[in-house]
Amino acid sequence: MSTLLEWQRSMRARLLGAPRPDLPSADAATDAKSTERYAIYRHTCLTTLINALRLNFPAVRLLVGDEFFEGAAAQFVSAQPPTSAYLNDYGASFAAFLAQFPPAAGISYLSDVARLEWAVSRSLHAPDSASLDPAALSALDPSQMSAVRFHPRPGVCLLRLNAPADEIWRAVLSGDEVAMAAVKLGNRPVYLLVERDERGTSVQRLGCVAGRFSEALLRGQSLNEALDAVDDGHVADGANEEVNAALADHLRAGRFAEFTTEGENEI
Amino acid sequence: MFESVSGSNASGPIPAIAGIGLRFPHHRQINETRPAIGWLEVHTENYLGGGSTRRMLFDLRDTYPLSLHGVGLSLGSADGLDMEHLKRIARLVRDLQPQLVSEHLSWSTVDGTYLADLLPLPMSEEALELICRHVTQTQEALGRRILIENPSTYLQCPQSVIPEWEFLAEVIRRTGCGLLCDVNNIFVSAFNHNWDARAYLQELPAAAVGEIHLAGHALRTLNSGAQIRIDDHGSRVSSEVWQLYRFALSIMGAKPTLIEWDTDVPALEVLLSEAAHATQYLNAIAEGVHEHAA
Repeated sequence: MSTLLEWQRSMRARLLGAPRPDLPSADAATDAKSTERYAIYRHTCLTTLINALRLNFPAVRLLVGDEFFEGAAAQFVSAQPPTSAYLNDYGASFAAFLAQFPPAAGISYLSDVARLEWAVSRSLHAPDSASLDPAALSALDPSQMSAVRFHPRPGVCLLRLNAPADEIWRAVLSGDEVAMAAVKLGNRPVYLLVERDERGTSVQRLGCVAGRFSEALLRGQSLNEALDAVDDGHVADGANEEVNAALADHLRAGRFAEFTTEGENEI
Repeated sequence: MFESVSGSNASGPIPAIAGIGLRFPHHRQINETRPAIGWLEVHTENYLGGGSTRRMLFDLRDTYPLSLHGVGLSLGSADGLDMEHLKRIARLVRDLQPQLVSEHLSWSTVDGTYLADLLPLPMSEEALELICRHVTQTQEALGRRILIENPSTYLQCPQSVIPEWEFLAEVIRRTGCGLLCDVNNIFVSAFNHNWDARAYLQELPAAAVGEIHLAGHALRTLNSGAQIRIDDHGSRVSSEVWQLYRFALSIMGAKPTLIEWDTDVPALEVLLSEAAHATQYLNAIAEGVHEHAA
């Protein structure tokens, strides 16, 4: 193995792993002091990564407090360090980590708030892109419509959560204790549409029918499959109207980048 | 939007005057008030996405010359460059057309893990060949020359056999890249490793210097009782570094000079006053007031 690669792997172990006195000292001239010198790099590495998580998950931090957050973030950093220097991309699995993190077991909604914050962060930093012109659909043969698959623009995301994470997120970020106390943790799924337009990133809650339909559609299922997702045998009155309104709203708001029909390559 | 900048401050090369690092706490103030600053530098990795942050940078392009300063390409990675990251940077460089693009003589990534710091590189033949290969690869991907910055270090690797200034000069000679001469880093590393900071500066190829960095650093005492200087970019430039800067200008001539501040970022006015201080030294050089090397 190259000596350079060996040195870099030993640095990785020193920066992210538990203290390793068995590793050879890198600085022969300052052996006695080298542990403290490594600690400077370790400190920068960990604080930079914890800070990246702090920026991406501000409501989670406020919910659990600084000390708890730093402890959880430090364990996450050690277990799942970033794979890229683009730190806006760091934290995709933080919500799943929190869901399995024993000290957070008493806060049932914490991982859902983290999932929402991750979606908001993704939306905020998503690349700029053009919207599908709805007029393009008019060129389709009506028989092709049911096979249409829409491809969402980067930054558009539909979340299905167990907790009303949107209410908690707004209440905690605005420091509204009354709103926080009024949050009711129900047992029905909550559908949240996260997107970015010229005014910024927004989160809106969708009803159950529109939510199920949009979830399937934004996941790349065909129009027909998305309609099936709504129809679970006991469709409420007015569901068709709700589905039609949701599709019209998605098209009007420019949430799709493009569409494909059966037989076309998906892009 | 950014194509139509001819005739504005933003066209042409970075002038040999003082600029500041643009950081998030000052975005709104700079965007709305457009204060008189020679040029702006941003960390490349903060602008790789879309949305309002990117839009603001492209708007500022109409007023200020810009420099993209990368902190994550990891030119010294033994297992190769992150090609996805290089492509993202290349797209931003293509769209923004900044006056300067720079990176560091350091490494941050190994086995696909980003370690979020500018880590020291052994000054070895192996590292020299690797860095030259990666600088060339980067310059080809970006279609332009880059500057590489001398690091601040707290450790010297046992495999180091080439003095850092010679290593830098050789990278420049072999790849045609330029040098981002960080005077604070030279001061910090010289103190930490008992080097002669002025001799370091004199050994650098002055004509290759495309930019100078100035920043504050901290002085700490280790448990062993030894003192160490830490490049934390969290205070005003120290008086010793201003003196070393004056010496650097006396041998390099006036160069675009940047004030960096990343920790406990103060009011914009503090950065502007530091830039004004650098301007005094730059003006003195332009007027022919040279320091005689001691």
